[in-house]
Amino acid sequence: MSVAELKERHLAAAETVNSLKDRLKQKRLLLLDTDVAGYARSQGQTRVSFGPTDLVCCRTLQGHTGKVLFESQVYSLDWTPERNRIVSASQDGRLIVWNALTSQKTHAIKLPCAWVMTCAFSPSGQSVACGGLDSMCSIFNLNSQTDKDGNLPVSRMLSGHKGYVSSCQYVPDEDTHLITASGDQTCVLWDITTGLRTVSINGSNSRMFISGSCDSTVRLWDTRVASRASRTFHGHEGDVNSVKFFPDGYRFGTGSDDGTCRLFDIRTGHQLQEYNQQHVDNEAPHVTSIAFSTSGRLLFAGYTNGDCYVWDTLLAEKIRYAAQFQPVCPVNRLYWTWENFKILTVVGSAVWDCLLMVVPYVQEVGTQTSRSGLLEGIEESTEVGDRFLWKMSVVISPSKFLDFVCPSYGL
Amino acid sequence: MSDFQANGSLPPPPPQPRSPPHLYGKRREGARVQMLEREIGFLDEELKSLESIPPASRSCKEVAEFVTGNVDPLIPTIKKTRRSWRLWKWFCGACCFDFSRIYCCDCSCDLSMPRCCDCMTCNSCSNPCQSCGIPACRCFPCISSKCFKKWKCSLNGCCCCLPKRLCCPTCSCTRCTCYPKCPNLKNMCSCCNKSCCFPCYYGK
Repeated sequence: MSVAELKERHLAAAETVNSLKDRLKQKRLLLLDTDVAGYARSQGQTRVSFGPTDLVCCRTLQGHTGKVLFESQVYSLDWTPERNRIVSASQDGRLIVWNALTSQKTHAIKLPCAWVMTCAFSPSGQSVACGGLDSMCSIFNLNSQTDKDGNLPVSRMLSGHKGYVSSCQYVPDEDTHLITASGDQTCVLWDITTGLRTVSINGSNSRMFISGSCDSTVRLWDTRVASRASRTFHGHEGDVNSVKFFPDGYRFGTGSDDGTCRLFDIRTGHQLQEYNQQHVDNEAPHVTSIAFSTSGRLLFAGYTNGDCYVWDTLLAEKIRYAAQFQPVCPVNRLYWTWENFKILTVVGSAVWDCLLMVVPYVQEVGTQTSRSGLLEGIEESTEVGDRFLWKMSVVISPSKFLDFVCPSYGL
Repeated sequence: MSDFQANGSLPPPPPQPRSPPHLYGKRREGARVQMLEREIGFLDEELKSLESIPPASRSCKEVAEFVTGNVDPLIPTIKKTRRSWRLWKWFCGACCFDFSRIYCCDCSCDLSMPRCCDCMTCNSCSNPCQSCGIPACRCFPCISSKCFKKWKCSLNGCCCCLPKRLCCPTCSCTRCTCYPKCPNLKNMCSCCNKSCCFPCYYGK
């Protein structure tokens, strides 16, 4: 078959895919006879009410540092299964392990790569894992001896991803297996003892996990089947930043750049509820993370403007304004140079030298969020004064082109 | 020498290497077509499966049943306002002491009623709440206005239940769930199993 014929077939197939997706969407709409709030109201469900002393902040754990505000953000945290310790990761280059009851820090782990995006506690509580822009997942054993500089050594590095590691989580009750999600558009199940990727595990029980993506979809995976997702969930209109299983295990919640949280059913694929803050100016803050309470009645959602709300999952109402945090300092310019393959990120019009990153990792510029991506290539460049304007495609969002202004260092 | 051959025609062009076939482009295009055709298969399967799945209402029912069937440690289980209100009414009726006005031990503010407005649409800290008309605790935060941040009550205890010093000394509970009880009452203290955890404060 010639290339021209293949291109024709490609066009025809793409049209068929779009038409099938439309048909699926219409059919699903017909099956959405109600949502959770509609059902709950029809059953006379009353709202949850909190008194002034219910649901109050009992501890603030402070310890991550950094020169620049956004550098010291806590990017990720995880609890031990016993819920008595927390590990937090910040781009100040450290993992901190906290005693959640006393607020004391038990470990402050200096990371080989400061650009950490995720961390996780092992089910036994003996190890912590983290990953980030270095495309690797590093494991630290909390009981190992520190080196002469007082740093905890890395006990295992899991390498193989071709892009940043945005999320990692241990398989429940298995200290030796870990799942990572990456900007290379793959998820990997690792056997930590061998450091090898594996996509099947022994055992007769299927192990399901869900992943949220910058393509606005969420996928359900069976760890025994690597070749395709068990189901793909559509509905969100922006990057899906957070996914969490509902306590019953048959549903899951999501939080997205479209400003909404949603509840989906795993078995049917239905979107059961949308949790949407109505914003007059259509600029709803993005949802960065979510969590459910143990009964599933409460959904906690954090937003990019620093708000954290508690939603009543049954009635789809905001019950309580849980907290407010300093919003992320926006990065709105990126300067880079080919000299020594370094990229400087910039806040406002001043150059901050504290965020040096190695090419090809590029930080996306934008307001209130920052993500990294793998530099694929320079699409075009235009001279603007003494600078070049580069347009590049970034793996995380193939359809997005980001503008960067860079000094003409002489590429 | 002329370029023209003896019969007057132009000489044939010198042989030139043919450009290599675009194998990379062809394979890449072929791979894309294969992926799309695979996706068509998955979408067809999903369409067929929709014939047999139940509507969303069944899953919504399961969610509601699961949530209401499980206790949540973060959600208060006792409806404080109604029970405390009934208890106060009883006290006012049954006891000689006028409980309708209690003075906080730490300040001289007048807690005229123990019942609080927990109306989520309270639009100010006005008293009574403009939405539901129930007298509001002075220290109760108004969710929608900026005064929410000043939720910390100047009183030394939640004003929608009794002031701290009147709470159960046995279990040191200062929550609304522990009501100080007169020995004449038959009701148990909800946080300790004594018939009365606090002698009648007012001399009976």
